[in-house]
Amino acid sequence: MSRIHQHPVLEIPENRKKVRFFFKGKEFSGFEGEAVSSALIANDVHTFNIHSRSDTPQGLFCANGQCSHCTLIINGFPLKSCVTPLQENMEIFPLIHLPEIPKDDQPLENHRKIIEQCDVLVVGGGPSGLTATIELTKLGFSVILIDDKTRLGGKLLLQTHKFFGSIEDCHAGTRGIDIGQKLETDLQQYSNVRVFTNSSVVAIFKDQKAGIFLENHRYIIVDFKGLIVSPGAREKSLVFPGNNLPGVYGAGAFQTLVNRDLIHSSDRVFIIGSGNVGLIAAYHALQAGIQAVGICDILDNVSGYKVHADKIQRMGVPIYLNHTILSAEGDGKVEKITIAQVDKQYQPILDTAKTFEVDTLLIAVGLTPVDEFYDMAVDFRFKAVKAGDAFEIAEASSAMFGGRIAGLEMAKLLGKEIQIDPEWSEKVEILKSKPGKIYAPLNIQLNDSFQPVIYCDEEIPCNPCISVCPVNAIQLEEKLGTIMDIPRYLGDCTGCGLCLLICPGLAITLARKLDDSSAEVILPHEYLPDFKVGDRIPVTDQTGQYLEDAEVLKIRFNKKHKTHLIYIKSSLKNGPKISGIRVQSPKVTESVSEPSFNYIPENGIVCHCEMITVQELIDYIKEHNIRDVNQLKQARVGMGACGGKNCSVLLPRVFQMAGVNWKEVTTGTKRPLSVEVPMYALINEETSD
Amino acid sequence: MTNYDVIIIGAGSIGVPLSFYLSQKGLSVLVLETLQSAGRGQNRAAIGGIRATHSDPAKIIICRRTIDIVSRIEEEYGYDVHWISGGYLFPVYTEKDEVNLKNLLEFQKQYELNINWIGIDEIEELVPGINTEKLRGGTYSPEDGSASPLKLIDAFYMLAQQQGVDFHFNEAVTGFETAGSRIASVNTDQEKYSAGLIVDAAGAHSRELGAFLNLDIPVYPDSHEAGITEPVQRFFEPMIVDIRPEAGSANYYFYQNAEGQVVFCITPDPKIPGTDCDNTSVFLPQVVKRMVHLYPRLRNLRVRRTWRGLYPMTPDGFPIVGFAKEYINLLLTTGMCGQGFMIGPGLGEILSEIIVDNNTEYKDILKQLSLYRSFSGEEILN
Repeated sequence: MSRIHQHPVLEIPENRKKVRFFFKGKEFSGFEGEAVSSALIANDVHTFNIHSRSDTPQGLFCANGQCSHCTLIINGFPLKSCVTPLQENMEIFPLIHLPEIPKDDQPLENHRKIIEQCDVLVVGGGPSGLTATIELTKLGFSVILIDDKTRLGGKLLLQTHKFFGSIEDCHAGTRGIDIGQKLETDLQQYSNVRVFTNSSVVAIFKDQKAGIFLENHRYIIVDFKGLIVSPGAREKSLVFPGNNLPGVYGAGAFQTLVNRDLIHSSDRVFIIGSGNVGLIAAYHALQAGIQAVGICDILDNVSGYKVHADKIQRMGVPIYLNHTILSAEGDGKVEKITIAQVDKQYQPILDTAKTFEVDTLLIAVGLTPVDEFYDMAVDFRFKAVKAGDAFEIAEASSAMFGGRIAGLEMAKLLGKEIQIDPEWSEKVEILKSKPGKIYAPLNIQLNDSFQPVIYCDEEIPCNPCISVCPVNAIQLEEKLGTIMDIPRYLGDCTGCGLCLLICPGLAITLARKLDDSSAEVILPHEYLPDFKVGDRIPVTDQTGQYLEDAEVLKIRFNKKHKTHLIYIKSSLKNGPKISGIRVQSPKVTESVSEPSFNYIPENGIVCHCEMITVQELIDYIKEHNIRDVNQLKQARVGMGACGGKNCSVLLPRVFQMAGVNWKEVTTGTKRPLSVEVPMYALINEETSD
Repeated sequence: MTNYDVIIIGAGSIGVPLSFYLSQKGLSVLVLETLQSAGRGQNRAAIGGIRATHSDPAKIIICRRTIDIVSRIEEEYGYDVHWISGGYLFPVYTEKDEVNLKNLLEFQKQYELNINWIGIDEIEELVPGINTEKLRGGTYSPEDGSASPLKLIDAFYMLAQQQGVDFHFNEAVTGFETAGSRIASVNTDQEKYSAGLIVDAAGAHSRELGAFLNLDIPVYPDSHEAGITEPVQRFFEPMIVDIRPEAGSANYYFYQNAEGQVVFCITPDPKIPGTDCDNTSVFLPQVVKRMVHLYPRLRNLRVRRTWRGLYPMTPDGFPIVGFAKEYINLLLTTGMCGQGFMIGPGLGEILSEIIVDNNTEYKDILKQLSLYRSFSGEEILN
């Protein structure tokens, strides 16, 4: 069984009920109520079905009920396994091509239409939806909050790292999972909010109602006066040969498997994309005991925060800039992937190819707002506000603040006379700032007493270190006059270590001179130490360069921050440079000696629902002289389960490859439903079994 | 001013096949379309049913021709349009419907249509698991069937292009210039054109078009809603039409297409007049309840998508096809009342024979579908 048995941050629940189930007649065990897909992956089953059009294997893809890649035959019914809770004695079979509809001929008896009313319908209970709901309920509005997960908090719940920002505005320095929990608790004080979890909004209708697929088996119609659209973002997909193999999926699905379901879903992952999502995926992998073999990015610089990238590299994960993915290959699932450097036109230089043996390839090449419901509501002239990533892709810190503003804006739209503090908007703007300038490191001399050494040299919106220092020994260097400024140590450190414990970037150490040749350094460590006092462990500089093997003096664990503090003894000269412990051996990240790959870029899949390759689409566009995305429906594009959610971001490039200027192309029409709903659910049929 | 033999206004279910047949007979043809590509008006909303078993001679003749064309189009031109000869089944649950459909059967048989009354056993064979409570039998026409509207219009669009038809998309007709009883030019937001024959194939928008010519073309669109499920293995054969009315809706119908998806559509009652094609919350629970009641096995199918389309209705429920008396070079072929998809190919070929070959065999069709009829009858199978 591949499960996570210990984790530095997440608690492993002990009282879950084990149940047995059968896959292809063979007995397996899993936990009652967990997603069937997760139970299977925990049992090393990765191929769920064979696609009817391409006759190729498919596995988990979105882990979110949005696509239908994970469909299995469960107790005779074709069901999306990622949203089907595991039950005792389930009989599960892979789906080969199209499913057979069960011969369920019991006459229709009990059914009903359910209509609910509220002032405001909030779509999505992540950081922005939660804060918007709280503001609205405080003002006395009745709210229905819909979220497609089991628990509120959105992506916060999948984040084991501490958050950036400021403590007073957005809980900076607190881990995402804990922030999610806190917001959920805050919401519970209010009685005029109804929360429907495990539920998706599937349509916004012209008669100012929304259709909700409730708990994956019922359907309610919500009559609302205002709509807040805060469902977050969708991961962009990427076209390359092998992108349809089981084992290729988004970083979001990986976080769900690992951090929500505590599945040791892979042994070795490679990550495409060096934004914060990709960087954090490597960090999550290592925390879960999964090897993070590398990260590549086609750009020449890391797109995420430098503190994240530094941290990941210190842990021993290489970042390949100016590199792209050539292919993923394997028999039925990913077994190896190949990357190569790109030239100035971003074309791969095949001579530079490197092949890695991995079982999982994570796609983290950016996010697009899920704002279709907002656009639709605006078309229908409803009172609608969008918040969080649906409004603009940014950090959760700004989403929390943006949600509050969205809530108040909605209150105003509904006729409440209120003022929105103009400072709030300014704060949001700062919190969602992209990283700014990078400053040169200071030359630090160690003294006999501890002082913080700060490895935070890029302007980002974050300042908890200055908030927690009891003696105000750390201050922002006033350049911009905002929390984007760089923190500097001014003197008088008491050695309390609060700054180390709160820093989301793990970018502060405490160091002091021990004697003329050695120093003592305290390092924050968010992994389970696999060493003990007296061992010598490899330590690195800020960006992951190995410095020396240092002796472990002390290991402390801070319960509140779930962070280990590792005291080490090093050479004096390295004392002000050591900023992390290498947790992954360089051997793990080596490529195979001879690259081997089959690079046929035209074979990459654009539409995963219908398995349509780039080449097929280019040919179709040329042959049929297509200038309207809607016409691609003839070739099945946008006709699959996801309704074009994944492929639409890829189409501009495909048209360009077919020699058509995207500006001349009419975009596709989006129609409900956004998630498939079974007929029995649409009529709330209650069967006698 | 560019001159064509024929200008067709509307690149839809009617205009596109007609353009192909006319150009195939050597005429130069321009198709003007306000929207961005072929079939983006109501063809996109058609669910795909094609039957010859109508209740009037004109549609019987035209649609029989369509079935002939569509069933051979792959063999003849290489375009797979997903034709399935699955038949049409009208299951009957009331005595009144039984009497009506059996009477109609007699009429249909005069036109040598292959349609018969079948018993419950045969129905169960065609639709395994159908609700047989109060089921009395039904009419079944095995030669009717279905095709993909998207694929069929694309096939005709490709064929027409290969014949040299000019398609101008994103170009709206803004008016006409007339010279006595002749339309001298078609004016668009971009250019002026002249033609020996101008064809109104503007469907739901024909009334606006007629207004430019002071012609009252009685086409009043109303909207119907349709949906499609996920694909599953083939489990029933025919298009099923349930003609029993219920509060809120008249008939509804559904079939399983070549992809394995069940496609369904309902006729709202009262009608929803106008051109609004946005979905409302009413449709899904309404149609799904009726479908699962008739065919419980559908309950486990997942509905994937829904949409609305317009039925360009005429007062009596029959199309308007024929030459205008007011203008000698104006041909009307509009108001298909939701059946443009199944009428288009057959009508296109027949009209090309009338226009180019002066074929007079079809004068009864033109008489029946004339703009100048009384519009006092009522189509019983709409």
